Amino acid sequence: MKAIVEPSPDTPLVWFEVAIRGGASADPIGVEGLHRHTGLLARRGAARRQRAELDDTLDSLGAALDVSLSRDSLALSGLSLTRHMDEVIDLAADILAEPRFDDDEHARLLRETPQVLDEIRDDDSALATRWFDWLCSPGHPYGRTSLGTEASLARIGELGRDAARDLWRREVVADNLVIGLAGDVDEATAERLVARLVERLPKGARVPDPPEPRTPPPGRRTILVDKPDRTQAQLRIGHLASRYGHPDTAALAIAEAVFGGMFSSRLMQEIRVKRGWSYGAGCALRRSRLPHWFEIWTAAGIDVAGAAVALELELYADYAAKGPTDDEVDFARSYLVGAMPFHVATARQRMQLAVRDSLFDLPVGYTARLPELLGQLAATDVRAACTRHFHPANAVTVAVTTAEHARPALEAANAGPITVVRHDEY
Amino acid sequence: MTLSWELEAEAPIGRGVTAKRYRLGNGLGLIAAVDKRAPIVALQTWFRVGSRHERPGATGMAHLFEHLMFGQTESLPPGEFDRLVERTGGESNAATWVDWTYYKLSLPARDLELGVRLEAERMQHLVLETGPVESERDVVTNERRERVEDDVDGWLDEQLMAHAFTVHPYRWPTIGWMEDIRALALPEIRAFYRTWYAPNNATIVCVGDFDDEHLRDLIAQHYGHIPAAQLPAPAEQTEPVQAKERVIRAPKPIATDRLLVGYKAPGQDHPDWAALEIVSTLLAGCPSARLYRKLVIEQEAASSVDAQLTPFRDPSLLRLAVTTARGHGADEIVAAIDREIAGLVENPPPPSEVEKAKALAETDFWSALADVDGKAEALGHYETALGDFRRLSAIAERLTAVTAADLARAVRTYLVPAHRTIVIAEPENADEGEDGDDDGADE
Repeated sequence: MKAIVEPSPDTPLVWFEVAIRGGASADPIGVEGLHRHTGLLARRGAARRQRAELDDTLDSLGAALDVSLSRDSLALSGLSLTRHMDEVIDLAADILAEPRFDDDEHARLLRETPQVLDEIRDDDSALATRWFDWLCSPGHPYGRTSLGTEASLARIGELGRDAARDLWRREVVADNLVIGLAGDVDEATAERLVARLVERLPKGARVPDPPEPRTPPPGRRTILVDKPDRTQAQLRIGHLASRYGHPDTAALAIAEAVFGGMFSSRLMQEIRVKRGWSYGAGCALRRSRLPHWFEIWTAAGIDVAGAAVALELELYADYAAKGPTDDEVDFARSYLVGAMPFHVATARQRMQLAVRDSLFDLPVGYTARLPELLGQLAATDVRAACTRHFHPANAVTVAVTTAEHARPALEAANAGPITVVRHDEY
Repeated sequence: MTLSWELEAEAPIGRGVTAKRYRLGNGLGLIAAVDKRAPIVALQTWFRVGSRHERPGATGMAHLFEHLMFGQTESLPPGEFDRLVERTGGESNAATWVDWTYYKLSLPARDLELGVRLEAERMQHLVLETGPVESERDVVTNERRERVEDDVDGWLDEQLMAHAFTVHPYRWPTIGWMEDIRALALPEIRAFYRTWYAPNNATIVCVGDFDDEHLRDLIAQHYGHIPAAQLPAPAEQTEPVQAKERVIRAPKPIATDRLLVGYKAPGQDHPDWAALEIVSTLLAGCPSARLYRKLVIEQEAASSVDAQLTPFRDPSLLRLAVTTARGHGADEIVAAIDREIAGLVENPPPPSEVEKAKALAETDFWSALADVDGKAEALGHYETALGDFRRLSAIAERLTAVTAADLARAVRTYLVPAHRTIVIAEPENADEGEDGDDDGADE
C-alpha cells in the first residue's frame, strides 16, 4: 500500500482518496459496468449501517464519501471537517472492509443504471464521448464502456451481488491501494488515519494490468449518431495515442498545447476566432496508465459541421507532418512551465497528482517535475514526437447531429466511410 | 501614490487571510487579500453590470462583452491579450450573470503587474469595430446553440426564468435571446461599454502572493487617471407577487420527463434567505435529503433531484430540478414535491436534521475558500451583488442561527403552489396528443 500525505492548515477540512487499482478497464468482457456497480454498491451500506443510516451519519457530520470510477481505478474520496475526521475515516474504513452489498440495493442499482444511460443519450457531448470511446480502438480495454450496456447490465444481474463481493475481495486489499490524505492534519495524525483505513484489509496483491491494446485498424471512419432537432454537431476526431509517462510525454504536452491546449492554439484560432464556427475547439491527450486517445473536440453549427471536420482533419494532417514551429514550441513551453504552480497550489491538488502518478507507477513527483523535462526539450524533439504519435490517416470521427441535414457535408469531409447509428442504440 | 487610497473595510476570509477594501478617488474599489501559500495571484475585475442592466430587445449585451473584452485594444493587437497571459502560464476567463460581470486572471505572482496593466487597458481602450464584433457574435450564437438550443437543461433553465418573471429583467437569459444577439447594433454596443466599464462601477479583487502596498501602487498608477463615469440611476423593477401557478410543457428529444420547478424566493441578503438555503439542503442537497430519498431511493420515480437557491440580489427562485425515471411522469413528481413540502410544515425537522444541514453548509463554506480563485470569487460576488464583501461571513452566521421554526415559517411563506412556475420537457414521441410548445404561463 502506498500512502501520500499533504498537510496544510489553510482550511479546517481534510480530503482523502483511496484509489483501488483496476477500474473500468478491468471489467470482464461482456460484464462492462461491473466495477462501477460494485463501487456504488459498496457505498450503499457498510458494517452495521444500511444505506440510509450511513447517509444520515455522513450528512450529520457535514461530510461526503463518494465513489468515482476511471479507466484505471475505482476511488473512494472523502471530505470532512477537521473535527469529524476520525469518525469519517472510520466510516470509510467500514466501506473498505465490510461493505454490505445488500440485495435490495443491488437490485435498485441495476434498475437505476439504465437511466444514467438515458441521461447520456440526452446529452450530446456525453453521447459523442461514449461513441468516440467505442470507435477509437476496438478491443482496447479503454474502449469498452465503464457504465455498461443494457446487455452487460443484464449479465451483472444474472451474476448477482456475489460478483461484486468477489471483485471487492480481490481488489480491495492493502497492496492494491494508493491512499492520499491532504488538508488540516499533521503527518503523525495522517499516518494514524491511513493505518485505520487499511487495518482490517488483507495484504493481498496488486491486480494485474489489462492486456496491452491491439493496434486499431488503419484508415479513417466516421460514426454519425443521428439525433433529431439538432442545431449543432458535437464532433470528436482522434485515434489511439500513447500512455501518460511515455518518454515522449513532455514533448507531447507541448505538441498538445500548440495544437489545441490553449486559447492561442491553432484549433481555437482557426475554428473559433477566424471563423466563429464553434464556441470552443481544442484537443487533448487522455492521461492514463495504458495508451489512450488523442482527441480533437468541437461543437460546430450544423451548417458548417462538414466543413469543420474537413478543416480539422486538414489542420491535423499538416500539424502531424510538420509539427510546431520553433516559436510555437517556445510559447507553449513558457505556458506549461508557468502553469505548473496552479496545478500544485493546494495540498489537495498535490495529493491528487501524487496519487495519479503512483497509480501509473511513475516516479515520485513525476508530474510536478515535468517543467524540468520541458526545459530540456528542443523544438526538433517535439516535431519528432508529433511524427511518432500523431496519425491523421487513421483518425476516426464521431458526429452527434441530425443526419438528414449534416450527412451530405460530412460525406465530403474526407473522414472515411460513414456509418449512421441511432442516438439510443448504444 | 498609496496615500490616495482610503481603507474602507477589513475582515478575515479563511484562516490567516484578511481581506481589505480600499477605494481610489475615482471610485474604483479594491479588495486585497494576501495569501502567500502559493506563488500565484487571482486578479479579478468585477463590474456592477449584468443582464439585469440590459433592455428588452438588446438582451445578451452584457454577456457579449465577456467575449469582446478579450479583443483588440488601442495598444494590443487582436489576440495579444490572450497571448500575453498564456505566455506567463496564466489563464484568463470571464463570467456574466444577472447582477454582475467579472474578468478573471490567474497569474504567476511575478506577473501581477502585467495583469493590472492589461485590465486597465481594456477598461479604457477596447476597440469595438464591425469585424471583431461580428466574429464574436457568431461565437456567441454557437455558444447559445450548445448551451440552450441543443441542451435540454439549458432550455429548461431559460424557460423557467422567462415565465417566472413578468416584469423584472431576470426574465431574460444572460446569454440573450437569439434574435437579440443577432440584432445588437454597434452604436449601442459602444454606448454600453462607455456607460458601464468605468472605475466607479468596478471592484478589483486580488488574492494571493503579493505585497499589499505594491499592489495599491500598481493600481493607482494604471487606473488613477481614469475619470469616473456618470452611471445610470439604478432602475429598480419590482416583480409583482405571483398569484397563480404557471406550467409550461414542450416536447424534446429526451428519454423521460425532466422538470424544473421554481418557487419565488427572496434576494440573497434577505433575512429569510438563510432559512430557505437550509430548506433546499433538507429537500435535495445531500444523500439523506427528504425529497431525494423519497423520489430517487424509495419510490424510484426519479433518477436525479437537485435543489438550488439562486444567489441573486433581487428576489429570485428556489429551484428543484428533477429527471424522472422510466415509467414515471412529471405530474407524479409534482404531487410528491407537494407532499414533501407539506411534510416540512406538518412535521418540522427535528433539531438534529437542522444541524445536519448547518454542518453541510459549513463544509461548503470552507470548500469554496480552499484556493485563491475561490476566495476571490466569493469576495467579488458579495461585494458586487450585495454591496459588501463582509456579507459572506454575515450570511454564513445567519445560516448557523436558523431554527426549525424559521424553516417552517419560510416554507409556509415561500413554497406554495401559487408562487411557483413549472417547466416540463417531455419525450417527443410520448402522448402525441398532449400539449404543444409553451401552452401555459397564463394566470
